[in-house]
Amino acid sequence: MNAKTEDMIDRYLEAVAAQLSPEEREDITAELKDLILSRVEAKEEALGQALSDDEREAILKEIGHPLVVAARYRKGPDSLIGPELFPYWLYGAKAGLLILGAVFALGLVIRLLGGSGHFGQDFGQEIAQAFHGFFGAALTLIGALTLGGAVMEHYGIRPKWLTDWRVKDLGAFGLSDPLTWGVAAKSAGERVQAQSASGRATSAARRPRGRSITGDAIFSALATGLFILWWVGLVNFPGLGFIRVEGELVTVSAAPIWAALFVPVLLYALGQLGIDLFTLIRPGAVRLRAVLSVLSAVAGLWLAWTIFGAGHWFTLSVGTEQARIAGDWVLLDFDRMRTLGDGPRDLVGVASTLSVVMTWVLAFTGLNLLWKIAANAGRSFLPQA
Amino acid sequence: MTIDADLFESMRLELRRGSLVLAVLACLRTERYGYTLRQALAADGLEMEESTLYPLLRRLESQGLLISEWREEEKRKKRFYVLSPGGVSMLERLADEWRGINVSLDKML
Repeated sequence: MNAKTEDMIDRYLEAVAAQLSPEEREDITAELKDLILSRVEAKEEALGQALSDDEREAILKEIGHPLVVAARYRKGPDSLIGPELFPYWLYGAKAGLLILGAVFALGLVIRLLGGSGHFGQDFGQEIAQAFHGFFGAALTLIGALTLGGAVMEHYGIRPKWLTDWRVKDLGAFGLSDPLTWGVAAKSAGERVQAQSASGRATSAARRPRGRSITGDAIFSALATGLFILWWVGLVNFPGLGFIRVEGELVTVSAAPIWAALFVPVLLYALGQLGIDLFTLIRPGAVRLRAVLSVLSAVAGLWLAWTIFGAGHWFTLSVGTEQARIAGDWVLLDFDRMRTLGDGPRDLVGVASTLSVVMTWVLAFTGLNLLWKIAANAGRSFLPQA
Repeated sequence: MTIDADLFESMRLELRRGSLVLAVLACLRTERYGYTLRQALAADGLEMEESTLYPLLRRLESQGLLISEWREEEKRKKRFYVLSPGGVSMLERLADEWRGINVSLDKML
C-alpha cells in the first residue's frame, strides 16, 4: 500500500465524512477505510502487482458515490415524502392546483367581460397576467405542501384522519377531479332535500347525514390556507386590485382600516386554519371544536363590527378622480337593495353600488357569525360522541 | 414472449431485498467483519453491495440484534460482528417464517 493509494482513499472518505453526523463520523469512516483497503489488497494479490490510479478509483466507484454511501447511514426517512404520505401530497397538489386554476380562470373571465371596451387590446395582457399569477401561486402551494409533508415524514406525524378514515369522509377526495365537482354538489343537495322531505329531525346540533366533517375541514383548510398566503403576500392574484368602469382601468385601493387590522385578520385566519386542522386530527372532539368555533366566531364578529364601524373600506381611483366605497347603518335599507344597479355606471355610481353591496355583505357576515355562535354554543353542551 | 430485462431486474432485486436481512443474520452466527461477511454471502450466491451491507450492519446492531467489537487483525483494526442473544431468537423466528413462505410458494409454483 503506497502513499498515493492512502491519499485517494482519504479524499474519498473525507467526502463521505462531511455528510455524516459528527458523533458517528469517525466510526463509520474507520470501518469504510478497512473495507476499501481490504478490497485493494485482495485485488493486488489477485493481479500480483500494485494497482494503477484508474483501478483504485474503479474500486471506489464500485463502493458508491460518497453522497449515496453516506445517505445509506442516515437515520430517519430516505425520502422527502415517503410512499405512505405521497398519495396525500399528490391529492393536495391536484386539488389545490385545480381550485387555483378555477379561481384564476374565473377572475380572468370577470376581467375580460368587465373590460368590454378594450377587449381585443387587453386580451393577451390579461391572459399573460393570469398565467403569471397562477404559476406563482401554484409554486407556492406545492412548496407549502412539500414543506408540510417533509415535516410530517421527518417527525413521523400521522394524523388520525390518515389512519382512521371512514367511507363517509371520502367526499372531499372528489375535489381532485373537476368532473365530479358538480356531481358532488348535486348529490349533497339531494341528500339534504331527501332529509327535509322525509321530515327527519335535524337539530342545529346534529349534522345532516352524508355531510362530511373532515371533507368540509379539508376544503376550508385549503381555502383558508390560500387566503393566508394571499394576505401575507406570498400568493398574488393579478388583477384583484383593478376593475374596469366604462372601459377605463380603475385602481381599487384598500382603506386604512385593512392595514390597521392586518394582524387581527391574520390571527383570525390562522385560528380558523387551526380549527380545520384540529377537526382533521380529532374529528370526534365535537365539544372542544364547538368551543373553539364559538371563540373564532366571536373574533370574527368583532372584526366585522370594527370593519363596519370604520365606514370606509376601499377607494376607487382613475387619475385624479376618486370615489370611496363606504357605508353605515343608513345603507341597510331594502329600498336601496331593490334599486341596486339602477344608478349611473360612472366611477361614483359604481362606488355607490359597491358601498351598498359591501354594507349588506358585512351585515350578513355578522348575522352568520351570530348564528354560528348560537349553534356551536348549543353543540358545546352536547354529550361527547 | 420476451421479458423486459429492466423490469425483470427491478422485480428480482425487490424479491431479494427482503431475504438479505435473514442472510446476514444467518451468516453472523459466526463472528465476521464486514469484508469477510460480504465474501461469505457472495460464496453462497448472495452478492451484496458494500453501501447496502455496512449500513445494514449498523442498523441491526442499533436494533440489538448484533454485537460488534473493534479488534486488530492483519495489522489493521477491524470491526467484528456476531449475533446477540436477541439476534439468535430473531433469526430462529424469521427462519421459521421463511420456511413457511417457501412451503406456500412451492405449492403455488
